[in-house]
Amino acid sequence: MTIAHIQVIMNSVYSFSHAFKQAPWRMQRQWVSLFLSLTLGFAAVAALYLMVTSQAAILGRQIQDLRDEILVTQYKNADLQTELARLTSQEEVERRAYEMGFRPVQPEEVEYLVVPGYTAPQTALLASAPALRPSAPTLRQEYNQSLLDWLDERLQLPGGLP
Amino acid sequence: MRQQYAWRSLILNACLALAAVAIVLQMVRIQASAEAEQFRQQADAFAGEWKTYYPERGQIYDRNGHLLAGNQSVYEVGVDLEAMRDPHSIALAVSVNLGKDYDQVYTNLLNPPEGIAYLVIDNFADPHAVAYLEGLKEELAAQPSALPSLAGLEFHVRLQRSYPEGALASNILGFVNREGRGYFGVEEKYNDLLAGQPVQLWVPSDPNRAVEIPRIPNGTSLILTIDRELQDALEAILDEALSTYGAQHGAIVVLNPKNGEVLGMASTPRMDLNAFWQYGSIYDNASEFNRPVTMPYEPGSVVKILTMAAALDSGLVTPETTYLDTGSIQVGGETIKNWNEEAWGLQNMVGCLQHSLNVCMAWLATQMGPQTFYGYMNLFGLGKPTGIDLAGEAAGRLKLPGDADWYPVDLGTNSFGQGVALTPIQLMTAATAIANSGRMVTPHVLYAQLRDGHQFTVSPQYAGSPIKPETAATLNEMLALSLEAESSQALVPGYRMAGKTGTAQIPTPYGFYDAYQTNASFIGWGPVDDPQFMIYVWLERPSASIWGSETAAPVFSTVAQKTVVLLDIPPDAVRLQLNAP
Repeated sequence: MTIAHIQVIMNSVYSFSHAFKQAPWRMQRQWVSLFLSLTLGFAAVAALYLMVTSQAAILGRQIQDLRDEILVTQYKNADLQTELARLTSQEEVERRAYEMGFRPVQPEEVEYLVVPGYTAPQTALLASAPALRPSAPTLRQEYNQSLLDWLDERLQLPGGLP
Repeated sequence: MRQQYAWRSLILNACLALAAVAIVLQMVRIQASAEAEQFRQQADAFAGEWKTYYPERGQIYDRNGHLLAGNQSVYEVGVDLEAMRDPHSIALAVSVNLGKDYDQVYTNLLNPPEGIAYLVIDNFADPHAVAYLEGLKEELAAQPSALPSLAGLEFHVRLQRSYPEGALASNILGFVNREGRGYFGVEEKYNDLLAGQPVQLWVPSDPNRAVEIPRIPNGTSLILTIDRELQDALEAILDEALSTYGAQHGAIVVLNPKNGEVLGMASTPRMDLNAFWQYGSIYDNASEFNRPVTMPYEPGSVVKILTMAAALDSGLVTPETTYLDTGSIQVGGETIKNWNEEAWGLQNMVGCLQHSLNVCMAWLATQMGPQTFYGYMNLFGLGKPTGIDLAGEAAGRLKLPGDADWYPVDLGTNSFGQGVALTPIQLMTAATAIANSGRMVTPHVLYAQLRDGHQFTVSPQYAGSPIKPETAATLNEMLALSLEAESSQALVPGYRMAGKTGTAQIPTPYGFYDAYQTNASFIGWGPVDDPQFMIYVWLERPSASIWGSETAAPVFSTVAQKTVVLLDIPPDAVRLQLNAP
């Protein structure tokens, strides 16, 4: 086989390859592939966005429920405190004391004794431990920021997106 | 064939493209239309709401930690008219469970006022009835049939002031109305502290945009100097005294003369603070709410202790100084007589106090002269508010030389408590100088504040030293001697007390004094060598006797006997023995 024969064969292969690449069905497939890739890409981003926002919505709803629960607990606490005070009110205690056979003491009936180490009752000390005060917001941005909010915030930064 | 499909495809593409362009154009048109702003506002309106978060109102305790004012949840029951499906069932349910009139509710539901989307049926619904209605609503909603239904019936809970002790200390506490504002007493004076700071916040409906509610601290809680048991005893004694002596109204105050802490303060009439809307039917005017603080009156002879204090302190007299009482004295061209219009002869200063001689007091005032006498009265704080931390304190009135309505005779009459309007708390404040070695204290009811888990105690405030400690000691002894010498009904077995009665005629609107009606008063403190309590009794228009010595004095004794038991103050003999080294 001479060099000329080889050149002819090579030209034929090149022509075939060129004709294959330029075939209409081949071009259509390329466009379809590109379209499908883009569609899949958008779908993936949309699914991710949907998942993040739905999680944020669920957490947001949980926060709202917890807030309501705190309020209800506070109200119950106030009710119980008032109810306790009513049950131990002066009138109620006096009534129960009379029912149990007690009566008010008269000054001449009181006997005073020296009790070593006894300390007279002091005025009420009602202070409790101070409530915890968070030094920063406890709800992180991730829980209430959408993807678009995040993008917007990043774009607003001086350096743009990192 | 292929050409035909190509045309069809082209036409279809063109149609879709046109539709897409039309959609875009429509979007642009809507955005630029005149209604766009309206749409945006509607969208904003439904995007969330401004909510005001009110802190829980601070509580009020007595000095031993008993709750006097707390909070309780109350329910508002209303109907969302758009969600309502069965007005008959709603009207029937609320009429049976909340005691509402069926016809009225049903008519209101069918014909609500124009523009109303939510109709309030009950503002203070019973929590048990509300719980039952909530259960019934859920039960009906779970049934397959559409009717009957309580859809639209809504329940909103909120906190409302509650007073577990009812009417006890109502004159000190005051009350809070439905809008959460305090009226009278501590509730008004410390309203800003108790109410706390409300926070307004935009709350989006979108759970995606859940915002963090800032921590809203509760209102400041207060601990008062009041002793609940003593307060209850004072009110019981006062009510009994009104009945025994036929008095129209009255007041009793007990305070610690060393630091100004008010231990109890009773006044009539009183009201159940949980039914604050009855205020208008109980009181004719605001000054009746807490007489010891808000109602000045002519106190009569109790002022004599201040006149004597001024005379002793200025060096004019000593306890042994004598005065020949002829039964009358001329002051400013007018004749002043004793309470029984008789002459009491030669008296020393203890006798002047013991027999409560007007003439002797007028003589002392004239000898001191207006400048010295009124100078001392000014130092004692007469005619000025004491600064007690209760709302609506009255300043009283002490006419001074130079005032348009002051006459020279006033120097004489003022010396024995006539022509001067004072509140019991003013007289007590002035008298603390005598009981407390010359130092006057500002009366107060606030013992401590509770904020963020910390307790901040209030320090006593001193209001000056109008007299010297020696003068105070001398006068203490004189007042104790005068009580003992006259065998006063104010005496307390086992305890040495100092005090003075007061009987004052009541001025009429016509410019003269009522001859048959008086204000009976008594001020006293003890034990004399170490005063731990000061008591003021005021009975208005007693009918059993017009004299303070026969009405207010025995009430003082009763109060003192109760006070020494409740405050654990042993009799003098025991105390001195216990204190002996």
